[in-house]
Amino acid sequence: MIRHTWTCSLLLLFCFPIPAQNIHISDLDGDESMLYAQTKQVNQFFRRFNGEENQHGERYHTGDSLYRDIQLRLGYLPMLFDQQNPNIEKDDIKNFIAKLTDPVQTAFLDFHGQDWFAELPATFLTYRKRENLILFLCLEQERLGYKWSITNVYYERFLKLYYKGEAEMVMKTFLHPMSHELDFMNIRKVFQNPDYVEYYACKSFHPDFISLLTYEVKQGNMKFEGSGDPKFHFFQIPGWYFEVSFVNRPGYNTGWLITKLIRITEEERRELINFYQP
Amino acid sequence: MRNLLAYTIVALLLSGTTAWTQEHISPERKQAIDSLALEKVRDLSKYISLIGDKETPFSEATRVIDRAVELFMEGSEVGVSSLYRPEISYFPVKQYLERLMRLNYSRVEIEWYKIEYVSDLEPQPDGTFVGVITIFQRFSGYDQEGGLVYQDVTKKDITVYVKRKETQIAGRLIGFWDVMLGDIRVKETTPR
Repeated sequence: MIRHTWTCSLLLLFCFPIPAQNIHISDLDGDESMLYAQTKQVNQFFRRFNGEENQHGERYHTGDSLYRDIQLRLGYLPMLFDQQNPNIEKDDIKNFIAKLTDPVQTAFLDFHGQDWFAELPATFLTYRKRENLILFLCLEQERLGYKWSITNVYYERFLKLYYKGEAEMVMKTFLHPMSHELDFMNIRKVFQNPDYVEYYACKSFHPDFISLLTYEVKQGNMKFEGSGDPKFHFFQIPGWYFEVSFVNRPGYNTGWLITKLIRITEEERRELINFYQP
Repeated sequence: MRNLLAYTIVALLLSGTTAWTQEHISPERKQAIDSLALEKVRDLSKYISLIGDKETPFSEATRVIDRAVELFMEGSEVGVSSLYRPEISYFPVKQYLERLMRLNYSRVEIEWYKIEYVSDLEPQPDGTFVGVITIFQRFSGYDQEGGLVYQDVTKKDITVYVKRKETQIAGRLIGFWDVMLGDIRVKETTPR
């Protein structure tokens, strides 16, 4: 295991021998060579993933001979996985890289493309109590550029309020079809039991947690306290889902790395995307 | 340093007179903008070293803080987290620098790693371009006996705003790119 890690570290050193300012590897001390190898920005993750920068960290552009070069990518891609993560299958990595570098149908990440999401843990003071929730965001085009926008909120307090009724009761929660003849006098029933009020909404209704969050914030019931480390979820490579997070530890295999890799069907992909952006 | 800055501004002015649109920055122009942005980040690094240095007189340090603040867009903040306190604490730039000046060590060493990583420039909705420059800093604090009492290595992700502006020189409108620094994310790393 140690030998394997060392081999990887050496490989990384040879892959990224010189930093951006024409400094030789001999000028770098231990810390610096590690920080140099680190995938320091998500932007750099994209560039290394796609084979769009050289060993000096300088960008390749369309038309440069090595732009998106397959051999360059074959050098970078294995280093973009969290090599200490036991949950990523070696065979999956192999097949994933083969898919990405297949000369007939190479696959790349597109910063401006859809189907990648940020996950950001956040803490709010909710009714004077510190509570955690998760915000999901996506990159969206607007006017002259792009912006990150909230696509969904995952919050236990909201989740447990909706569709948690007992099946037997749920079966009885409807306004009968002749209610109109009675001037909807039975509408009173809808609001009698708050636990079941949402069952009277139309079938297409889905609770919108962004509305709930913004409402509570506007009412002064929820106050932003802080946020934690983000993660990113990618669905841009057909047949695969992967997660990218910042691995902060000593060594050469650090920074923004793939920390989850799962083969998914098209249906699973649709369902997952629907979770991040309902 | 001032010469280099003037040279870069002139280079940008000259390149700014050719036909291009705000929606696209060519690789050559991006390089020129990167140089200007890096120059500002290096200025900031020097200022931080000076502000932190206990040998710098108070009056000089406060003057340097003012110079450093001028590099930033108004309202810029520094978001700090450590390994033991992962939640981000926010400080206005000036307050962050003043705290650095007042740190309770007898001697402080601030070293900068040779690594500078410059991201792509992305347009935001108002057309201003935004990028991030990543640098790394080693901080060491010593007590009166010269003993090392605190050390950390931090990753600093510095926002860079790049805006197309125009100025009138000898009656002619000349376009140029203005570079300002924005929010900084300071995160402790574990290099060893």
